[in-house]
Amino acid sequence: MIQPITENLTPAAEAKTDGMALAERRFVEFYEVTKAYPNPYGEDIAVVKGFNLIVSKGEVVSVIGHSGCGKSTVLTMVAGLNDISSGGIVVGGREIVGPGPDRAVVFQAPCLLPWMTAFQNVKIGVDRVYPQASKQDRKQLCEYYLSVVGLADAMHRYPKELSGGMQQRVGIARAIALKPRMLLLDEPFGRLDSLTRMELQDVILDILNREKITTMVITHDVDEAIYMSDRVCMMTNGPGARVGQVLQLPFERPRERHAVLEHPDYYDLRGCLLSFLEGQDRRPAEPEVAVTAHEPVTTDAAAEVEEELVTADAAH
Amino acid sequence: MKYKLIKAIDVAGLTFLTPVVRLCYGEEPKKQLQEIGRFIVVPLIAFAVFVGLWGAIAPRHKTKSGEVPTPLVVWDAASSIWRFHDREADKEDAYGLSGKTREQKLAIVEKRLSQLEPLETLANQHVKEANAARTTSVEELVGPILTQYEKLDAEFSAAQTEREAALKRDAGLLASADRAAREAYLQRVRDHAAKTEAEREQLKELKAEETAIRAEKFPQLVNALKAQTRIAEERQYLGKLSEQLGHGNRTLKLDEQMAQLRADQVTFLSAEGDAAFMLAQRIVRQEARIQKTSESTYAKPWTLPMQIYRSLACVFAGFLIGSAIAIPIGVLCGLSKTFMAAMTPFIALFKPVSPIVWLPIALIIVGGFIPDPDKHWLIDFLANLPLLGWMKINPAFIASAITVALCSLWATMTNTALGVASIDKDHLNVARVLRLGFKDRLFKIVIPSSLPLIFAGLRISLGVGWMVLIAAELLSSSEGIGKFVWDQFNNGASDSFAKMMVVVFVVGLIGLVLDRIMIVFQRLVSFDDAAAAI
Repeated sequence: MIQPITENLTPAAEAKTDGMALAERRFVEFYEVTKAYPNPYGEDIAVVKGFNLIVSKGEVVSVIGHSGCGKSTVLTMVAGLNDISSGGIVVGGREIVGPGPDRAVVFQAPCLLPWMTAFQNVKIGVDRVYPQASKQDRKQLCEYYLSVVGLADAMHRYPKELSGGMQQRVGIARAIALKPRMLLLDEPFGRLDSLTRMELQDVILDILNREKITTMVITHDVDEAIYMSDRVCMMTNGPGARVGQVLQLPFERPRERHAVLEHPDYYDLRGCLLSFLEGQDRRPAEPEVAVTAHEPVTTDAAAEVEEELVTADAAH
Repeated sequence: MKYKLIKAIDVAGLTFLTPVVRLCYGEEPKKQLQEIGRFIVVPLIAFAVFVGLWGAIAPRHKTKSGEVPTPLVVWDAASSIWRFHDREADKEDAYGLSGKTREQKLAIVEKRLSQLEPLETLANQHVKEANAARTTSVEELVGPILTQYEKLDAEFSAAQTEREAALKRDAGLLASADRAAREAYLQRVRDHAAKTEAEREQLKELKAEETAIRAEKFPQLVNALKAQTRIAEERQYLGKLSEQLGHGNRTLKLDEQMAQLRADQVTFLSAEGDAAFMLAQRIVRQEARIQKTSESTYAKPWTLPMQIYRSLACVFAGFLIGSAIAIPIGVLCGLSKTFMAAMTPFIALFKPVSPIVWLPIALIIVGGFIPDPDKHWLIDFLANLPLLGWMKINPAFIASAITVALCSLWATMTNTALGVASIDKDHLNVARVLRLGFKDRLFKIVIPSSLPLIFAGLRISLGVGWMVLIAAELLSSSEGIGKFVWDQFNNGASDSFAKMMVVVFVVGLIGLVLDRIMIVFQRLVSFDDAAAAI
């Protein structure tokens, strides 16, 4: 009933994908990821069931969906903070086991250690990731990343002396200072006012343009998803949430906010996302759970079809 | 400056001073005055009311150890404790003085002694006069009572003899079969006994009246006696002082012994045979004696300030031992539910045990480790420490400290466990993402995050330890505040009761200061303001 969105692929995006080696095209791969919790009667209730997604290297994918649908569960599973019930996630050719500094997370709450200054909060990660670097180098590294997020003047303040936006900047600096292979943003601006939010979106886009980190952004803000990412992955409602549709965005990076807003397709894209979300509202969740509607993604060369872009929509 | 001051006051937990600072800077005087009224004047008034009530009620309650002391008496006792401490310190100084300073000091003391002599005679004179005045005034009051007593006594005994004679006479007239007459006679004897008893009571009352008058305080005499005692005490002190400066002085003693030694050495050079042997022995003995004298110090008795110092050292020793046990175990309990389960029975079982039980056990165990305190390395080591050496740390001190530790460590342990167990999950996630090792996780995440609660526990522990310590010292006779109380209780001097009351305030005040210090620490380590409630 909802139009598949693969037609929206622009030639540019295709070309970019084509030029990559297989390992880079399938840099992050979610295969039939399922998270189930037992209910009091001993039955497993799947929050997320059969989540499949492939992300190429350097790509920014945002995940949207209704609140409580399991977006954050997926993210915490990639981060390794949450066990995967079945299925698997591969990042950079290795299946993930537990958390690690190669997958840096920026949480909705800044999660800074309140007994450390902004500088020390970044340094604790840097010390861990660059144990061989000299003291001076590590210090400069921390200072560099803090100035990248615009905190050059406030780096020796304690979290309680910083505003919410500044705290989140420290969180971002701490994450990117780890030089992660994948950056995970869990509604990073959910608690900020809209002006601060726009500032921080630009801060992150700047960094991503420069460092080309593969990124997954969880959000429920449609405009944020369109502005920040290369692809938007829409999740169905839980329980048993999975990828409903994937929307490829036609914008090049680096991008300008007003250029994106004034793009002729902007409102179509936005409408597409909104209509999916509204469709989820109307639809009862149960039948969708029943259907496992996806061909298993395999990693051997024979499966080199474009299916990473087409996901669960095949069923509809 | 103003805000710095206010912040410092806030950190110290002395918020009642804030309005004073604000007032000094002329900020909203009316509001500040109100605040001062509420937080400074009202408590002061309450305290004044308390002191007033105490002063009014205390003299009405008589005990075996005399009257309950009034605030004034307690104040006197406090200053007498302090004077004693001061004078003992003087004597100690005097013993070690030598040369010119000794002579000067001695001259001053002698002068003061000679000044005291006339004063003493005067005081004695006053006491004599007061005694005489008292006797006359008492006799004046007692005289009429006594005469009345004698008069009544004579009357009563006359009446009694008369009644008895009449009864005896009538007894002969009783007819053997007349039951009614016998009943009536019995009644008469009963009446006689009752009357005699009543008369005796009346006499007793008079006697009591007389005793009360004799026992009544005579202000003039009380003051005269007080003055006399004060002068006598000072004389005694000066006498002792001049002894320490005079022939009891270390330098003088040494000089004398040296002179003796020299003389012996000279004679020894020309002596022969048995005499030479005897002299040589004497010289050796004399040398040993000189050595001993040069190392000797004044045998200073324990004074309350010294005992307070020792008590503080003891409570901190116990507190440190307790914390060193409680914090690591608490951290482990917080980290591992299994370890917590293993420790729970011990915590539950030992927490309620009273210090009175721990102390004898600790005394026996410490005694087992240190059978001969004079020759034990630990005691020896402690005796040579700079600030603790003079306190003569003995097994009783160690046992008291261990008792303090055993009673106070539970609060720290449970608080630490709680603090570690309730670390923010997000903070632990940071550690997980960074894959921090156990050591880093412990020292960079777990302990800093639980510090506020650990310090809350330490604060409770120190308070408990201070309370326990006094009881432990009282039982173990380890020199300290508790020992002071016990000595006063057994001493039974006229001011013992008042001195114990002094201790109440001293202990309370020190406890308060310790608590305040811990609050400051607690505030300094807490990263969010909410955790540092007073």
